[in-house]
This record gives sequence, C-alpha cells and structure tokens, in this order.
Amino acid sequence: MTVHTLTATALRAGYGETDILHGLDLAVPPGKITAIVGANACGKSTLLRAMSRLLAPRQGHVVLDGRSVHNTPSRELARTLGLLPQSPVAPEGITVADLVSRGRHPHQRLFSRWTRKDDEAVDRALSATKTTELAERSVDELSGGQRQRVWIAMALAQETDILLLDEPTTFLDISHQVEVLDLLSDLNHSRATTVVMVLHDLNLAARYADFLVAMREGRIHVCGAPEDVLTEDNVLDVFGLESRIITDPTSGRPIMLPIGRHRIATANAEDGMFR
Amino acid sequence: MSSASLDRIVINRLRRSRKQRVLIAALIAIVVAIFALALSYGQSLTPPGEVIRVLLGENVPGAAFTVGQLRLPRAVISVLAGLSFGFGGVAFQVMLRNPLASPDIIGISSGASAAAVFAIVVLSLKGPVVSILAIVAGLGVALVVYGLSYRNGVSGTRLILVGIGVSAMLESFIAYTLSQAPAWSLQEAVRWLTGSVNGAQLAQAAPLLMALLVFGGVLLSRARDLEALRLGDDTAAALGVSVSRTRVIIIVAAVGMIASATAVTGPIAFVAFLSGPIAARIVGSNGPVLIAAALIGAVLVLAGDYAGQFLLPGRYPVGIVTGVLGAPYLIVLIVRANRIGGSS
Repeated sequence: MTVHTLTATALRAGYGETDILHGLDLAVPPGKITAIVGANACGKSTLLRAMSRLLAPRQGHVVLDGRSVHNTPSRELARTLGLLPQSPVAPEGITVADLVSRGRHPHQRLFSRWTRKDDEAVDRALSATKTTELAERSVDELSGGQRQRVWIAMALAQETDILLLDEPTTFLDISHQVEVLDLLSDLNHSRATTVVMVLHDLNLAARYADFLVAMREGRIHVCGAPEDVLTEDNVLDVFGLESRIITDPTSGRPIMLPIGRHRIATANAEDGMFR
Repeated sequence: MSSASLDRIVINRLRRSRKQRVLIAALIAIVVAIFALALSYGQSLTPPGEVIRVLLGENVPGAAFTVGQLRLPRAVISVLAGLSFGFGGVAFQVMLRNPLASPDIIGISSGASAAAVFAIVVLSLKGPVVSILAIVAGLGVALVVYGLSYRNGVSGTRLILVGIGVSAMLESFIAYTLSQAPAWSLQEAVRWLTGSVNGAQLAQAAPLLMALLVFGGVLLSRARDLEALRLGDDTAAALGVSVSRTRVIIIVAAVGMIASATAVTGPIAFVAFLSGPIAARIVGSNGPVLIAAALIGAVLVLAGDYAGQFLLPGRYPVGIVTGVLGAPYLIVLIVRANRIGGSS
C-alpha cells in the first residue's frame, strides 16, 4: 500500500453554462476517511466527479501523486482511484459474482485471460463485504442494503488505494447505513484505504470521518476534524439551520440536533441540560 | 479469506463459461444445419454427397448449377449479412443499454437506403459506387444522430428519439424520390427498401467478409469495455473506460459492418434489432451476447430467406419475413418502455 496524495487546486467546474464549483481547494488526507457534507446542490457530487475525472474542470487541477488526473490514462487511474457513483446501474439478471468481477476491468489487458489473481481479488471483496453467500444470486433480487454492499464489493475488487463514494448510504435504513459505514471503516483500518465520501447525514459523517469537509455554494466553507467543523455556527452558515451540538456519549464525536420552530420544550432554554 | 470460498468462485466461473461455450457451439451447429439445408433442399432435393462434391469444386451435372450458382451464393451472403446485422445491432444495444437503440430503428439503415435510392434514381449511378455511397451515408447519419443528441454526453433515450426522428425524415425522402423515379430505375431502387438475397453472387462475399473481420475484430477488442458500459457511463468511466472514445469506436465499427451488409442485401428489416434480445434470452444478458447475437443474425437471415422461398405460399424476399417477425416485438418493447415511464 503506497501513500497517495490527492489534491484539488483552484478547481472550477460545472455543467452547461453554469459553474458549480467556484475555485475550490482541497487536500485529501491520505489513509483517512473524509466525509463531504453540505446543503443540496452545493457541489458535493460535482466535486467527487471532478476528482475522479468524470467531469473535466474548467479551471484548476485535480492532482494525484503529482500528476493531473485528467492527463492520466483512464485505465491507469482506475487502478489507484475507484469511484462508486450515486446510482449505478445493475444489468438485468447479473449475478453478484459477475458484477463484482467487473471491478477487475482496469487490471485486464486486451484479450488477456482471467487469472487466479482476479479470482482472489473477487473472493476478498466478497468476504470483506460479507456477500460471499450471495455470490450466485441475481443482483435484482437483493435488498437495498445487500445491493449496496455488492456495489462496494465491486469497487473493492478494483483494489484501489483511494475510494470515492457518492452517497453510499442513500435509500438505506439506519442499520444498513451504519453497516456500510462500518464496512468502510474496516477497510480504512485494515488496508489504509483512503476513503472520500459524500454523506447526507451530518451526525453519521461526524461519527465516521476523520476529516470533515463542509461545502457551501461551490466552495469549501470549512474543513478539519469533526469537532472543529460541526459547530452551531457552521451549521447555521452551511445549512441555514439553528441547531444544538452535543457530544455523543459512545464515540465522543459531536452530534447536531436541529432546533426548528416547533415542539421546543422549555428545557431547551435552560442551557446546560445537554452539556 | 477461506480457500473454500475461492474454490467455489472458481468452480462457478468455470461452470458458467463451459455452459456459455456449449450454447455458442449449439448456435454454430444450428447455423451450419440451416446452411446445409439451404444448400441441399430447395425446389428439388440434392443428395448431400453431391452437395459436398460441388463444394469441393467438382463439376456435377445439374447440381453444379443449382447448388453452386443458385443456392451457395445465397446461403453464403445470408450468413455473412446475418452475422454483420446481428453483431452491429447488439453492439449498439449494449452500448446504449436499450434494445431500441438498434441501427435499423435509429435511422442508420434508412440513411444507407436513402443514399442508395438517391444515387440510383437521381444520379443514375450503378454498381459498387452505390454501395460505397450507402456505407458513407450510414456512417454520416450515425454521426449526425450522435451529434444532435449530444448534451453533456449522450443519453441513450435522447439518441433513440433523435434517431427515430431522423429515420422518419429519411423514409419520407425515400418515398418522395421513388415517386419521381422513372420506371427503369424503380426496380433497382426498390431493392434498397426491402432486404433480399435474390441474385446474390459469390463475388460479393469477399468484401463483406473483409468488413466483418475488420469491424468485428474491433468490436471484439472492445467487448470488455462494452460490458463495463452496461453498468452505466459513470461506473464504466470509474473502471477505466474512456467512455466517449469507446463509443465513437464502437459506433464506427458497428455502422461500418451494418452498412457494408446493407450495401449487398439492402436493409433486412429488424435482424439487427431482434438478434441481440434473442441472444440475451439464450446465453443470458451477461453472457457472450456479441457472438451469440451475430450467430442469431445468421440464423434469422438464413431461415427467413428459406421460409420466404419455400415454406410460405408465394415467394417473399427475406426482409419481408423478418419484418413480419420484428414488428410485433418492436410494439411490445415500446409499450413496455412507456409503461415503465420511459427507459433510461
């Protein structure tokens, strides 16, 4: 496992006429879990797409190990940097083993045979995601949580040192969300895989990330350790939401409680109840 | 990381690929069987021994003409055209993740026909020039349809809708040109509307085979990228596929193949469209659909032509037979796509 540096400098990117990222700088801490949070349409997914070269920047660079990702041959890049898009398409009737095998694509040459190494990578990916038992099942018939684990398995079979995930927990119930995030943490601990993910849930982001990035209107509003990023002021700036921040007794990480306009008990006014 | 699970993965993979090889072999056997039938049994029965002697180049009285001059060229051209239509069609369908994305639906075949009809009727051209114009026009229409549907990348649905529109325009252009056609060129021009292997000659086989080998080779070299594209453009890109470049290469190769076949036989309706889905039914949509669809294409053209000649009351060109087969399936697909609320 080599240490890779992935940075974005003065990154400007968007679709059609509009810019979505307005000159953004980010250095992804190697070997850590980074979570990107922010309001809808603040450019989280766009940032992920630009970093994985799915979207060409208008200005600025995304540099992996000193080389612009947009000048790196796609196959070569795909051996270092993996991406799980927000809504991947599973071809009708494909089996789990078959889908996970597709992750080996960047490791294969023209007309080269499937090798023992490929089988082993698939086996490792299946067992890491606890989907070995599902290997011969059709992806269509899996539950949402199982399916997401299978997609992650495909990205794992790619055996990249950096893994980007666009909202890997969307459409999952809370236990499956935790399961997926635990799995990514395992991966980060056991193989030092650098994980960068877009997450919707602030509290899960603060819980699982080593490095939290809060985006606002195409720029990075603040980034750093979850304790420093998830503050009442920042939540107000980024989401326009009044909130209280308390400390999770289990993890010691910050938890955000939205205040809103209703059902505000008097206890809320008595500062200190939660602190 | 138990080795038991690894063994199971390997065993299942080998079992799957063995099953696929058996299915492909069975399809090849079917093609060979219909080919043999078409050579030996038409208006009259030629004993297999005589057929083989003719194929070996012996001069067998009677059989040398019926088999060597009539049936063999027809069967050979049927196989080659069928392979080309099936292969080119499935490449489009897989690449755009939609069975409606077949070249005969999105205007590529009508582009080739329109150019040929125009060349014959208006420019009074004949022979290979017409074929070359047809191939160029097929490619041109493909690129125009691709260009018109480009907006932040190409979505399959947009390309199909643009293609259907372009196809309708070309069809009316063909109808207008034909209405102006002098009687002497009409017959030659009409050949470009309904695919047929009537009057096939062995001399046409060599260029068709060349096109099939060159373009087919290109497509096979991209087979893995095509497989990855089935996971969506983003996932394919994340797996290291250069999506736009791969698409252009596949479009050029598939259109080159289809237009070459169209130049020889005319547009044999729906073979490109039907082969892929039938192949997916047989080998599974994640099996070797490219090869299987090419073989199904050969089966459709061979069997369609045989049925049109001998099994139906009256004689019909193969394009009529495949058209009758394909149209209901097209309706089913469109109805189903609408019910889901448009396909992705």
